Amino acid sequence: MTLRWNPAVGFGLTLAAVFLFAVLMVFSMFRMFEVENAMRVNAEHNMLWVLHKGEVAALRMAETMALAENNATDQDQISLRFDILLSRIALLNDGPQRRFVEGIGLAKELDDLTLTLEEIQPLIDKFKPADGPRLRATLEPVPRLFGRAANAAMIADWDELGGRLEVYRSHLRQTIASLIGIMLAGGILTVALFLSLRQSRRDNSMLRRERDFSGLLISSSGEGILAVDRTGRCTLWNDAMEKLMGKSAQQAVGRPLRNVAGFFDISPVREGIARALHGHTEHLTLQPLFQPHRDIPLRVDLRFFPLRNDDETLGAILFLNDATDRYKALQKDAQDRDRLEELVSERTRDLDNALQRERSAAKLYRNFAAMVSHQFRTPLAVADSALQRLIRRGTRATPEEINERATRARDAIDGLTRLVDSTMDAARLDAGLIGARRTACDLGQIVNTVCAYQRTTADGRQIVIRQPTEDPGTAFCDPAHAEQVLENLVSNAVKYAAPDTPIVVTYHSDAENLFCDVSNEGNPIPEKERAQIFVRNFRGTNSVGSKGTGVGLFIARTLARMQGGDVSLLSSAETTTFRLTLPRFYESLI
Amino acid sequence: MQTQAGAGLVGVLCVFAFTANAQNDVILRVSGQISGGTVSLDREAISALPSVQIITTTSVTDGKHSFTGFLMRDLLDRLDAEGETVTAIAVNDYVVDIPMADFYDYDVIVADSMDGVALSRADKGPLWIIYPRDEHEVLQDIRYDYRWVWQLSQLEVR
Repeated sequence: MTLRWNPAVGFGLTLAAVFLFAVLMVFSMFRMFEVENAMRVNAEHNMLWVLHKGEVAALRMAETMALAENNATDQDQISLRFDILLSRIALLNDGPQRRFVEGIGLAKELDDLTLTLEEIQPLIDKFKPADGPRLRATLEPVPRLFGRAANAAMIADWDELGGRLEVYRSHLRQTIASLIGIMLAGGILTVALFLSLRQSRRDNSMLRRERDFSGLLISSSGEGILAVDRTGRCTLWNDAMEKLMGKSAQQAVGRPLRNVAGFFDISPVREGIARALHGHTEHLTLQPLFQPHRDIPLRVDLRFFPLRNDDETLGAILFLNDATDRYKALQKDAQDRDRLEELVSERTRDLDNALQRERSAAKLYRNFAAMVSHQFRTPLAVADSALQRLIRRGTRATPEEINERATRARDAIDGLTRLVDSTMDAARLDAGLIGARRTACDLGQIVNTVCAYQRTTADGRQIVIRQPTEDPGTAFCDPAHAEQVLENLVSNAVKYAAPDTPIVVTYHSDAENLFCDVSNEGNPIPEKERAQIFVRNFRGTNSVGSKGTGVGLFIARTLARMQGGDVSLLSSAETTTFRLTLPRFYESLI
Repeated sequence: MQTQAGAGLVGVLCVFAFTANAQNDVILRVSGQISGGTVSLDREAISALPSVQIITTTSVTDGKHSFTGFLMRDLLDRLDAEGETVTAIAVNDYVVDIPMADFYDYDVIVADSMDGVALSRADKGPLWIIYPRDEHEVLQDIRYDYRWVWQLSQLEVR
């Protein structure tokens, strides 16, 4: 069968068939009702019988009269026959019968007859045989009248019947035609029904295929897919969802989503579903999803869509995508960025330091002339004057004198050399040229080394080392610098200590730092100078008369600070104590 | 004809005046399967039956008319009529068989007056069987119309 079902044409045809069906049905029913009504036969159509009975009554009246003339009957019979004739006339004069008589044009004859009968009534009531012939003559035309009326009635009846039958036939023909039309319309409807059934079966099978395909897509999707109806009950739950949530479809479908897993009851997810049920699309990214028996949550992206049919929202569909890898990549990116920033700031700091050193060096060179003129002039002057005296004395000079003056000059030059060394040290420090190579150092060993050296050069000055009862551990520092700082502090102490007093070196520690205190008695540093003693080239009033360059403490402090430590003054009234602080552990110098 | 069967009648028939008096003309004779064989009724006997009125159209007159008379079944009951059919015979020799059931299914009366005027023999009197035509559509049919016997004079229960 190659019939194709064009829906528009089919619909129009079906509609037309239904319309035709209804119209023809109503029409034929109308016609049938008409026929049914018309087929009620009324007694008025029984005129032939009425007239026949009237004729019989008239004839019997005449017969009875003839008998009466011969005294063959009695008054009662005459009255009876006359009454019967009268009743026939009365019937004819009544309603429908009267109208019929008028219809056939015999009304006047009937009226005349009625009058005649009224006139002869007295003669009948008191019948005398002598009246017989006159009465018979009077009644003689009555049967003829009934006969004529019967003829007319027959003709009228047949005319009417023929007409009526014709109307029936025409109505029946129309009804038959209508029935044929109804059958045709029914046939069209049947064909339309068959075709639309076939179409619908075809549509159904297509729908089924599409549904199966959708089902396959959903179940094989790597994305978690679920759907909920308007009340929030789960209606769909695919395999990927099962893997993500650890719940099977049997556990999820048909239950309120918030009861399936706590994840769906957290506020953003709940709101997302609510919004989708109100017809909006929603996205959530990198939501933490805690799976059963796992400490580290997955990160999932969620997309909510409303499920619509025309304008009605039937439910919502939710896609859940495992975005853990992306999240990790993002986190790694962030870490890399942090590290990079750290690196940049470190480099920036190095550059700043370099710049600082550059500036210091420039400053050193600028100040160098002034320093030379100020600090170096004195020893130069001493040497110069000693040598001048020598020259002036010439040959007169004794060897002792030469020796003495030369020694003075050499001393002055010696001091100048030391000054130059120190100045260069300070300058190098300023310029950052001395670097710190920090390692874990045994501070006790350094203290011992320094004190042993100082004892050999300090003319028998007593140097006491007080060791801590507990092992203070190691300091984290450059051992050479620590030694230099300690040497400076101990030599200062030796220099400024009151005669015959011991130098006490103590070391101890706390959680973070090691401390080494170097104390001497006498020559306390005046209160107002304490803040300045670490400034370069400052020499305290108590240093008058002793050799010094004024840069020792500056260098000591600078070196200590380079290693994350410090040198500080802890003076009391009797004792001067300098404390070297060194960190125990590595820590950033920033 | 006048009955001589009065002596054999049971009490129930005493309500009817069975008489040989020629003054009281018999207007209805009942015969056939009834107690007493044959019963003749005059006007007085008829008026002793409960009076019933029917207002109805007829097939031979225009408009509605009020008919007064007695229920056919009242009469038949009093006469212990037993049978299927009642043959009604009129003065004018009209004869028709009426199923007995008609009188029990419908309030069929035997009227002796129309619109308050006694029916005369010169019209449809003295008695006319009237069906309650307007109350039952099924009665509006020519097969019932021919049971409206006028000038009724005789009933035969069979």
